[in-house]
Amino acid sequence: MPKKTKPKARSHSNHRGSRTSRPAAPAVSSQRTYTILDYRLERPHIELRQVRDGDSVRYQVSGDLSAPVPPIRDSKYLSPQQCIEIYRWMLLNRKMEAALENLYKQGKVVGGVYFGLGQEGCSCASAYALKPDEWLGPLIRNQGSLLVRGFSPRDIMMQYMARAGSPTKGRDASSHFGDIQNRNVVAPISTLGDLIPVLAGVALGARLQGKNIAVMTYIGDGGQSTGVTYEGLNFAAVQNLGLVLFVENNLWGYSTPADMQFRVEDLAERAIAYGIPGVIVDGTDPCQVYDAAHEACERARRGEGPTLIEAKMMRMKGHAIHDAAEYVPKPLFDFWRKRDPMARFENYLVNVKKWLSREENEKLIAGVDSQLEADREFAVASPMPTPESAVGGTYCEPGCHEIKPKYAMPTFAERKAPVAHRAESAVHLK
Amino acid sequence: MPTLTYLEAIRQGIWEEMERDPTVFCIGEDIGVYGGAFKVTDGFIDRFGPGRVIDTPIAESAIVGAAFGASLTGMRPVAEFQFMDFIGCAFNQITNMVAKAHYRWGAPAPLVIRGPSGGNVHGGPFHSQNPEMYFVHTPGLKVVCPATAYDAKGLIKASIRDNNPVIFFEHKYLYRRIKEEVPAEDYIVPLGKARVVRAGRDLSIISYAAMIHVALEAAELLSKEGIEIEVLDLRTVSPLDREAIAETVRRTNKVLILHEHARTGGIAGEISAIINEEAFDSLDGPIVRLTSLDSPVPFSPPQEEYFLPQLSDVVREARKLLAY
Repeated sequence: MPKKTKPKARSHSNHRGSRTSRPAAPAVSSQRTYTILDYRLERPHIELRQVRDGDSVRYQVSGDLSAPVPPIRDSKYLSPQQCIEIYRWMLLNRKMEAALENLYKQGKVVGGVYFGLGQEGCSCASAYALKPDEWLGPLIRNQGSLLVRGFSPRDIMMQYMARAGSPTKGRDASSHFGDIQNRNVVAPISTLGDLIPVLAGVALGARLQGKNIAVMTYIGDGGQSTGVTYEGLNFAAVQNLGLVLFVENNLWGYSTPADMQFRVEDLAERAIAYGIPGVIVDGTDPCQVYDAAHEACERARRGEGPTLIEAKMMRMKGHAIHDAAEYVPKPLFDFWRKRDPMARFENYLVNVKKWLSREENEKLIAGVDSQLEADREFAVASPMPTPESAVGGTYCEPGCHEIKPKYAMPTFAERKAPVAHRAESAVHLK
Repeated sequence: MPTLTYLEAIRQGIWEEMERDPTVFCIGEDIGVYGGAFKVTDGFIDRFGPGRVIDTPIAESAIVGAAFGASLTGMRPVAEFQFMDFIGCAFNQITNMVAKAHYRWGAPAPLVIRGPSGGNVHGGPFHSQNPEMYFVHTPGLKVVCPATAYDAKGLIKASIRDNNPVIFFEHKYLYRRIKEEVPAEDYIVPLGKARVVRAGRDLSIISYAAMIHVALEAAELLSKEGIEIEVLDLRTVSPLDREAIAETVRRTNKVLILHEHARTGGIAGEISAIINEEAFDSLDGPIVRLTSLDSPVPFSPPQEEYFLPQLSDVVREARKLLAY
């Protein structure tokens, strides 16, 4: 049984000693230290580098790959019932993706399929920390987050099969859909980092309407390299907006390893430079993910600003279904397969905690299977859109949407209008 | 009726909308305490407070992204770009995130992106551009380019009330150069409607923004020779007023299209195609394009003067076309 330990606060200067040559320390030390909260129960040090192997170049992995698998960390906040709910979402997420793979093999999917295999705990437990009137912006692998927000597997299946009944009515694929009415989900676009300022803006809109809410989005170890990631998170920090940013470090950006995306040891260190809290969790442990997400959401609701949470895990498939991920060294897959979030959380609930009996677990699994089968049948039987339905909706025409404040009509203090008196500027441009 | 400059008219339009509708707010660089690089939002922060007049980091993608996010909660953001030349920094947010939102997932984006554009102010390649065509080519956006103070006020108010993303190009050459009587009361100029600013029967000049004033000067000059030129101000470059374009051609049978942005891929090509589709039989001569050069906007005054269409160019081309 795992001992309940306090998360370790790690202090470090903002350097990666093994890689950075540092000047000798001055006689009187003026180095500042910063704190990164680290919830993990293991801290694997694994490196990937490009090596020549005969005529070709490949990735070689080094580090302690035989380390024992860590236990699930007990949650400070989740009840046994809530743990079981998260487990069910994770199961639905995983089994839905297996169903999508089958639909693809049957030739029913238009385009590719993206998987969150190995990341289900992160998707589901993070989204679980949000309240219904709060907002989420998923990335391509966060299909579990969409389920938690209230979309059904049939929605996602129909998206992949480009059916008329899909949330985008066939107009976009995969997890590229949203809902501003009920589920408060912002549809992602393919380029990465662009959701970050948008979710910050959602929090800004809510604040103008008198409510501090938590808004959550994700970025990967690859996507965090983009400029808009910086712009968005910095804006949220400056404006003190309740953004909870999960940096899902799954070690691969398509085929490029994390070691070729950034120099810092942990992406959570980026938080220091934004002036916001940074937290590290084991992304394969849903309890750690939830606890960090919950604390960040509470901070957001108190109006204290954004939090960056780095979730460490591994993408257990290729970038998409076409990609066999042969560039990933096999020992790395083996290391992370032993850390499978599903198997470990199931073991935690059934064998370690005994919150779920074997019979209850079997019943739960059967329930997920039958839900997925019903959704699969519905989705497969649903029609393709008509060709003409490509037309229309490019613009919001009169009567199609009523624009009104989501939370409350903003109120502002009455002030006298001052006389415009300031000097002209930019007058050299005349 | 008070007399307002083009800039004051825009300022008054935004101000009135903020007074009228508490969901309207401003966001941009240096727009608060400083009042904006051109002072369009001068005094706004004092009246409406820092909550509704938000100074941002120098981060155009964040400005557009945040405006879009706020619009999803039912707000109506007015985002200022210090110069429209910098809009390229937010190109992905505008064309992929914002413009496609309603088509893809039914999310209206009632936001305005506004700022100064245009040359003839010796601002060089990065403070003089007319980047509207990138956005005219992007379905889902509306593109507005006023030429007069009256239209500027009515169009900015209509843009703020529109449920779609509107890119509002203010011509900085006009900011303090033109004045006219502008009603103090509430009015709008509808988007997508062109206006005949001078009626004529011999030749039509189709244009917008600062070039309207060049066209009007040419019309005035030629009227002394008994030539009657019709000037059509598009006002909204996307969506184009196809009917107004066809009608002016049917009246005059000869068309000169005048614009300040580069020739290749310019709006003149699109308007020519519309005339071809809608009013081909009415043409009594070739459609003439008069545009800037296919080059960046040069800095030095003699170069910029050569780069931009001039009054003498319009008069010369109009005479040639009339003689055809």
